[in-house]
Amino acid sequence: MSENGLVFLSRAARTAGAVLFGAALLAAFPTRAQQPSDKPAAAPAPPPSWQQGRTPGEASSPLHPFAIHMTGRAAKELPVDKLIVPAGFKVEVWADGAPGARSMALGDKGTVFVGTRQLKDVYAVVERGGKRDVKTILKGLDSPNGIVFSKGTLYVAERHRITRYDGIEDRLDNAPDAKAVIDNLDPSKQPGHFWKFLALGPDGKLYFNIGAPGNIVMPSYMQGSIMRVDPRKGVLENVALGVRNSVGFDWHPRTKQLWFTEHGRDWLGEDSPSDELNVVKRKGEHFGYPFCHQGDTLDPEFGKNRSCSEFTPPALKLGAHVAPIGMRFYTGKMFPAEYRNNIFIALRGSWNRTIKQGYNVTRVSFDDQGKPKMEPFLTGFLVDEKADPPMWGRPADVMVMRDGSLLVSDDHNGIIYRVSYGK
Amino acid sequence: MSGGRAARRGAGAAWALGAALLFACPAPAADLEAGRRRAQDCFACHGPEGNSTNPAMSSLAGQPAQFIAMQLFQFREGNRKDPKMTPPAVGLSNADLNDLAAYFSAQKPAMLAKAPDPATAAAGRRLTEQHHCVQCHGAALMGQQHIPRLAGQQRGYLRVQLRGFKAGTRADIDGFMTSATQLLSDKEIEILADYLSGLGGQ
Repeated sequence: MSENGLVFLSRAARTAGAVLFGAALLAAFPTRAQQPSDKPAAAPAPPPSWQQGRTPGEASSPLHPFAIHMTGRAAKELPVDKLIVPAGFKVEVWADGAPGARSMALGDKGTVFVGTRQLKDVYAVVERGGKRDVKTILKGLDSPNGIVFSKGTLYVAERHRITRYDGIEDRLDNAPDAKAVIDNLDPSKQPGHFWKFLALGPDGKLYFNIGAPGNIVMPSYMQGSIMRVDPRKGVLENVALGVRNSVGFDWHPRTKQLWFTEHGRDWLGEDSPSDELNVVKRKGEHFGYPFCHQGDTLDPEFGKNRSCSEFTPPALKLGAHVAPIGMRFYTGKMFPAEYRNNIFIALRGSWNRTIKQGYNVTRVSFDDQGKPKMEPFLTGFLVDEKADPPMWGRPADVMVMRDGSLLVSDDHNGIIYRVSYGK
Repeated sequence: MSGGRAARRGAGAAWALGAALLFACPAPAADLEAGRRRAQDCFACHGPEGNSTNPAMSSLAGQPAQFIAMQLFQFREGNRKDPKMTPPAVGLSNADLNDLAAYFSAQKPAMLAKAPDPATAAAGRRLTEQHHCVQCHGAALMGQQHIPRLAGQQRGYLRVQLRGFKAGTRADIDGFMTSATQLLSDKEIEILADYLSGLGGQ
């Protein structure tokens, strides 16, 4: 889960910043907060979620997640001219000034909606009279990472709920009130992988993840899964189990099977385990977490007396700690024909590894037997794989536009890039 | 980045550099001069050029730009609360915050003149290693990325921050500092504040 990291506003605050979100910690340490003592604390506050599962020997590891630039960085002060795409393609900055930009959704009238994970905002990128503007349309939400647009309605997945904003594209300056689709998705209110990706299935149901509560922890009810809800009925169903955290999924345009990215656990080695690209062939399938990683590696703790054979292995190993986030099948007509029904995956890049990798948009294509293979498509964010930080930008989501071009969000800087072909 | 670049060859495929920057409303680059003008309002408390002379006030000079921008953001958004810092932060745009960050990070930190006595220095150094401060704040404790410089920071300010983390009342990024300070005694907090504030001194 190389994606994890410093989650400044939501998850972070829940463990420790009691001042941010209420009295959780003060309640846990009432006397010490008021009466400083000269003795060490008896019950230390828990370490941050990203440190969970470290061995004692790793306490002095210099590896750490990277913080995003909460105020965004201007494209003109970054080496965007170092971005590389295959011959015939072009990459340009499409919009900046959208701090923390993550998941993207396309409105009926061409508005690009953008969610955030470490901020509390949802943006709309609009083009009016030749000007492209980033507007903040929703504020004060709880990690609004997941967004979907369908038939005039914007659906937003926060940590604890999914809401709908009907007719929002006609009133971006005065967004309608949120209506709940489903609530109580965050019963524990604890740190963990509880920001959500959101996608609309071919069945008209909303699909979302509820990740694991830590790096390597036994999930409880509703955790470590991909679920779906019928927005008309509000009834939940399990789609996939044993999923540590998936922050990107899409349906194959022909087979209609659900493919999803998944972050493997940390602190199990530089090259182990691999992050995964998975496909759901049967509703309720179990993908192994926390017992078995990458389809063939038993967990040192939870894998005791288990076998990987009872779990579904990944369709493709994406590499250790590369942090696959958003993914989409390419359904546009602009790119060459061989790109049709390929998958583009935003690899946000590793932190839990000495030599950094990922930090690109990867293309997954399929051979005649349907076997997937991967190759880098958009690179240049990673500057020095041994440096701290190693990169200047991090891809977080991809989205196919109506003209067939591909948008790529970069939450590290709050920039959206556009990849096009020809012309 | 307008116009094409020569195609590169790599791994059997021809790769071309991306080109063309066509958008109407680019975000402004951080402006050091604009930051300097705005920073005049900060000097009364944080000292000239952000070199504080008040033990209770933090020095901003030479702090990492990402740290400055992030803390101002946290004050503005109400995630880190302070009666003196919240009002000036509210109303500032992201561009303003980035300008201020560019300015303060470019100023030379005036390290305090007085180094701690050898016993405090040795004890302080030991604590920074034992509690893994150096892992994030750097071997010289000069900070990096979103992580602040501790060397030469004001003693009183450091003490209050460490006590606040330990009590769970100081806004934290991900719980790391709160968790790291739990094992510190008040005496050790004093030693750390003395040691860190004197680092880089004569």
